[in-house]
Amino acid sequence: MKMVKSKNMLMYISKRILIMLIMVFFVLVATFFLTHLMNVNPSLNKMSSDPRVPHIVYLEELERVGANKPIFEKFFIYMSNFFQGNWGTSYMVADGVPVTTLISQIFPNTIELVIMPIILIPILSVKLGISSAKHRNKWQDSIIRGVIMLGVCIPIFFLASIIQFFASNILNVYTYGVIDLETTSVNSINVYYANRLTGFRLIDAFLFNDQALLQDSLIHLILPSIASIVVSLAGISRQTRASMLDVMRMDYVRTARAKGVAEKDVINKHALRNALIPTSNEIVGLVASLLIGSLFTEMIFNYKGMGWYLYEAIRNGDYTVITGIIIVDSIIILSGTLVADILYTVIDPRIVY
Amino acid sequence: MEDSNLEELDFSKEKIHYFSKENIIRSLKFLFIPGRRDPRLSQKEYEIEKTKSKRKFFRRLVKPLTLIGISLIIFIVFLAVYAPWIAIYTLETVTDVSKAIDFGIPFTLPSPLHPWGTTANAYDLFSRIIWGSRTIVIFGFLTIIFATVGGIFVGTISGYYGGKVDAIIMRIVDFSLAFPTLVIVILFTEMISRDLITILLVFGIFAIPSYSRLMRASVLTTKQLLYIEAARTSGARNFKIMFKHIFANSISPIIIRFFGGVGAAILGFSGIAFLGFGDASLPDWGTDLKYGLPYIYSMIHLTLFPGIFILIAVLGFMLFGDGLRDALDPRLKAMSK
Repeated sequence: MKMVKSKNMLMYISKRILIMLIMVFFVLVATFFLTHLMNVNPSLNKMSSDPRVPHIVYLEELERVGANKPIFEKFFIYMSNFFQGNWGTSYMVADGVPVTTLISQIFPNTIELVIMPIILIPILSVKLGISSAKHRNKWQDSIIRGVIMLGVCIPIFFLASIIQFFASNILNVYTYGVIDLETTSVNSINVYYANRLTGFRLIDAFLFNDQALLQDSLIHLILPSIASIVVSLAGISRQTRASMLDVMRMDYVRTARAKGVAEKDVINKHALRNALIPTSNEIVGLVASLLIGSLFTEMIFNYKGMGWYLYEAIRNGDYTVITGIIIVDSIIILSGTLVADILYTVIDPRIVY
Repeated sequence: MEDSNLEELDFSKEKIHYFSKENIIRSLKFLFIPGRRDPRLSQKEYEIEKTKSKRKFFRRLVKPLTLIGISLIIFIVFLAVYAPWIAIYTLETVTDVSKAIDFGIPFTLPSPLHPWGTTANAYDLFSRIIWGSRTIVIFGFLTIIFATVGGIFVGTISGYYGGKVDAIIMRIVDFSLAFPTLVIVILFTEMISRDLITILLVFGIFAIPSYSRLMRASVLTTKQLLYIEAARTSGARNFKIMFKHIFANSISPIIIRFFGGVGAAILGFSGIAFLGFGDASLPDWGTDLKYGLPYIYSMIHLTLFPGIFILIAVLGFMLFGDGLRDALDPRLKAMSK
């Protein structure tokens, strides 16, 4: 029986991975054609900063970059390079840097930005969902749901601006400089630091026992994490509340209470385990929305991660960087869906694919 | 004597006016006074009517948070409809720089001439926000109506026929979930034209998958019911079965998600306008935020008011959608007896 289940699981996983690869291929094709049909002209953007540049230099630049070829020839060259590992070089955003190097440098920044929300959001929102289900239809429920709704409806760029304004103008004045709050808004996150083993600042700070780097990174990560957490609380807490309300009606909860189990154990041990099963699917949506929201957060806090580079690339018309970042994002979202489906079978042993 | 008794029991002599004053007052009393028993009905009729009545739905709908949502929606729609009368300055002075210079100096603080000050392009902020509510309301409703209609069609066809058609449509739906939506909408607007209609259509097309999934789930569950087979054996054609019988049962999750979708569409549109890819010739709250953001430390009102209005609009739609969902959800119905 066990071998049959694992053989089915292997077949299911391999089928899903195959479908995922096909989907990433389609995303690649679609993104290529979308970016090349945009109305921006990156060579013009590069040359137009100096109006004395003669026209012949602009034509030579077009020839060098290869913009005069027909689009299917460009498509063929790009595809054949892509699967050999050469994702092109960036043209406007970071001049001459290969896209793979660029992404490997900025991807750890985004992961650091996102890791604190990913750890904190499920904990906080499950707690809020439980207390909202316990006090159903009372005033505590209304207040909790109202505050969570407020957090989700506020636009993330507005919230980030207000937090930045508050921390650097108002709190700074009233703490009389005891905490160095100006650092939270100042742009020292992009400074190149000395001891580099992995790309992650926090891990390198632990490895090389670098106190200043650790303090600096943590202070810079607090405000964007607060903005991301406030905006993302509602989805998981709403799902937890609905499934807790379902589970509390079941007979085994009544049996546990009749047996004499303490109320907190009834909720946290017996009821929660079954209530969290549909919630595990929501965490996938959390990863996707954090990646998209990082575009706005990084723009406002001037934090050079994937979102910032994606925005600059779209604004300047840098095809290779746009395609590279979108492909990495799609791979993350699709593999997050796959991991959630696999975890679903681990959490709930009744489900067999 | 017997004749007079029979005449009293002869109900056909009473003329029934359905919209007469007594009937209206009777039904209003029944709706709004909890626990009212109509003395003209017998006990059994009263029980039947109570379980089928709308009073229960109404009572479960008017919770405090839902009322806040409804009032916010009415406020925003009121601003949008009566914008020419509420806003002080006309539309051209708020969107066209050459005409605005005649009326205002850039970056003034709130004054009696300009209630909330002026922006960087010498537009009056108060009028710009009032006119901007029209853009938001039009965009939200039209996008989600388009997405809902498309989702209903796709979901019904996919769920009813099943088999290969279903598999192909579901693959396309899954494929469009892999895209980061915001980025693709931006690329499309750069490609076609930076117009409100373009953003509306692309947003609607990318919102169709979630509605079609919802519709397909409802169709799959109601397809098994017996009265569909009964309709088919009595000769109803396929389209009639699909759009008349199944539709009526599957409509309530879609209505719930409609309002949540409008809120999400407003947030998405403000995000696109904030990044700079919105429609430049329309007054819009996202572009106000974008132009006011560099001046946040000196003039916070340039970012505070547009942001608060976006919050109010989205909050109204989301709260109302949540209230509807709590009122229509059958599991919660069973519990709040």
